[in-house]
Amino acid sequence: MTLRDALALALRNLRQAKLRSFLTMLGVAIGIASLAGMVSLGVGLQDQFVGRFTRSAMFDSITVLPGADRPGVMMGGGRAGFGRRGRGTAPAVSGRPERDITDDALKELAALPDVREVYPNLRVPVEITFGGESEFTAAAAVPMGVRGEGAFQAIPYGRFFENDSETACMLSLDMAKRMNEKAPGSMIGKALTLHYPTAPVNGVPQRAELSCPVVGIVERETGPFAAAAGVAPVMITMGKGREIYQAGAVAAQAMAPGVIRPRTYQAAVVRLTRPQSTQDVEDRIKSMGFSAYSVSDAMQGAKRAFIILDIVLSLIGSIALAVSSLGIMNTMVMSILERTREIGIMKAIGGSDGDIRRIFLIEASAIGLLGGVAGVVLGWVVGRAINFGANIYIEQQGGTPGNLFSLPFWLIGGAIGFSIAVSLIAGSYPAARAARLDPIQALRHD
Amino acid sequence: MAVLLETRDLAKHYRMGAATVRALDGVSLQVRQGEFLGLLGTSGSGKSTLLNLIAGLDRATAGSLRIFDQDLAAMSSLELTLHRRRNVGIIFQSFNLVSTMSAAENVALAMMFAGAARDARQREAAHLLEAMGLAGRQHHRPRELSGGEQQRVAIARALANKPHLLLADEPTGNLDSRTTREIMELLKDLNQREGKTIIMVTHDPALAEQYAHRIVTLLDGAVVSERVIASDSPPRDRTGADA
Repeated sequence: MTLRDALALALRNLRQAKLRSFLTMLGVAIGIASLAGMVSLGVGLQDQFVGRFTRSAMFDSITVLPGADRPGVMMGGGRAGFGRRGRGTAPAVSGRPERDITDDALKELAALPDVREVYPNLRVPVEITFGGESEFTAAAAVPMGVRGEGAFQAIPYGRFFENDSETACMLSLDMAKRMNEKAPGSMIGKALTLHYPTAPVNGVPQRAELSCPVVGIVERETGPFAAAAGVAPVMITMGKGREIYQAGAVAAQAMAPGVIRPRTYQAAVVRLTRPQSTQDVEDRIKSMGFSAYSVSDAMQGAKRAFIILDIVLSLIGSIALAVSSLGIMNTMVMSILERTREIGIMKAIGGSDGDIRRIFLIEASAIGLLGGVAGVVLGWVVGRAINFGANIYIEQQGGTPGNLFSLPFWLIGGAIGFSIAVSLIAGSYPAARAARLDPIQALRHD
Repeated sequence: MAVLLETRDLAKHYRMGAATVRALDGVSLQVRQGEFLGLLGTSGSGKSTLLNLIAGLDRATAGSLRIFDQDLAAMSSLELTLHRRRNVGIIFQSFNLVSTMSAAENVALAMMFAGAARDARQREAAHLLEAMGLAGRQHHRPRELSGGEQQRVAIARALANKPHLLLADEPTGNLDSRTTREIMELLKDLNQREGKTIIMVTHDPALAEQYAHRIVTLLDGAVVSERVIASDSPPRDRTGADA
């Protein structure tokens, strides 16, 4: 008996019991839909996370933090940063120097092999006035090196800074919306006034003013690396940032003379010539007495977490599939009972055990294939529906809508393949039972 | 005439709870090529059991059963399947057609297992059904056919893979007398014109006497009598048992 004949016979048998075949298939479809839906949710969440991550972070960069963690320093604030919980932050090993990030330290970091650029995470306190309103905030100094990268890959309105000394600022989209709710884009070209402290004259603190036209608006990504990448409500060039910082330092010196305040930064970013050397450079930086972490570290940790999430989700999804595999088995056993005489006839006229087994296995896999395809479609539809509802909620909460469910081709193929495999396993016992039937007994069966 | 089939001390015992039922208890028998043999006996005499053993549907407990010089006892289950497929065609009392298939599909099914191509199967099935006088009934399901017509379909199916040996188990048991005659004439025709060897199990001595060349009577699993019938059929056994 050729495979094609066996296939034709098996499909004929399925058509013979349309309702039962359909119901069994539906059971498989629901099982596959729940499995594919769950995995699709895992993949979707991962895509969302990784997407946000890569949009706001740079893979060729290492974030450097002062010293190794010391109890009390963390609690004291200022140095506490998101990334401190990352894998790269090794606790202090005794005997190692613990360092602050000073200008000298930046030079040392810049001298490391494979390092392209080093810039501090510089934030200066300023008061912004615009249209009669004012607000105190910290302006982030953005180096030219991040142009077109990380959070600056896409600038919805306007442009990036033209040079490091440009007197201009960029706003986060949130900030622009606060200033002009309806048309944040219209903020481009408008000038903000930045006020900052400078050296006192005769003991009276002075304030300088800087009129900065808005040149660009960045869609702020709320990823963990946004701060390190320099995204803040207001951003100025690194050059201007240093000027304002310098002025502030002078002012502080003047206000509290005698107190030695070495200039330190909360963090610095080391950019590499090639991402592959991340681990090497990170290790060197740590041996210099700093804490360091990179996006790759965090990504790896996140990926591990997502694998666990995927496994848990697919286990939950598999429960429905396990139930539907029992459905297949039940259907097949019933069908064999019903067709016992037919099986006897087939054996009497020359059908081999293998032929009979093959017919039933093909029936099972056909149920698996159809159920799998229907299940993927069903899973997709349900996923879309949930996604639609969830995005309405996310938008109401002020979040960015996205695809919570992702259905890549490997998942479609995998789900259908898995469905066929499960059906074959579920069908193998009934098929073996049918193949073993004694023809004489079977022929006596009504 | 060459010996087609030979059994020696063939036995088949069933275990029914604690008791052992001796369905066949030492049957020695020869069937020659082209012979029309009647196996006569009451129910429980072992005649159907013998037929099932010859058909390769069941295995003997003891003794030997040789067909075309092949020992069925030594065959694997796949070899028995091939024996059923190639060497024998079985005709049942209750026709045993697949109820969901048309007459033509039933006949073609046997050829499907033998691996015949779809076109060849359809052609051959149509041809066989035509020869059985069912030219217009090919696409009817069994329940749309009379008993006689169903048995003709079954005979066509038994012939599908061109076996030498036809095994008929009470082929007319479910038919009226007129249809019985038609079916028996058909079998006689197959025996005479196409040289098919036929072993027919029946409980009707008159029917056996009318059509068989030789009648073997079984009782309680053993041969109790063997009679050569003076028949008008050509293949006669004159020489007795070959050495």
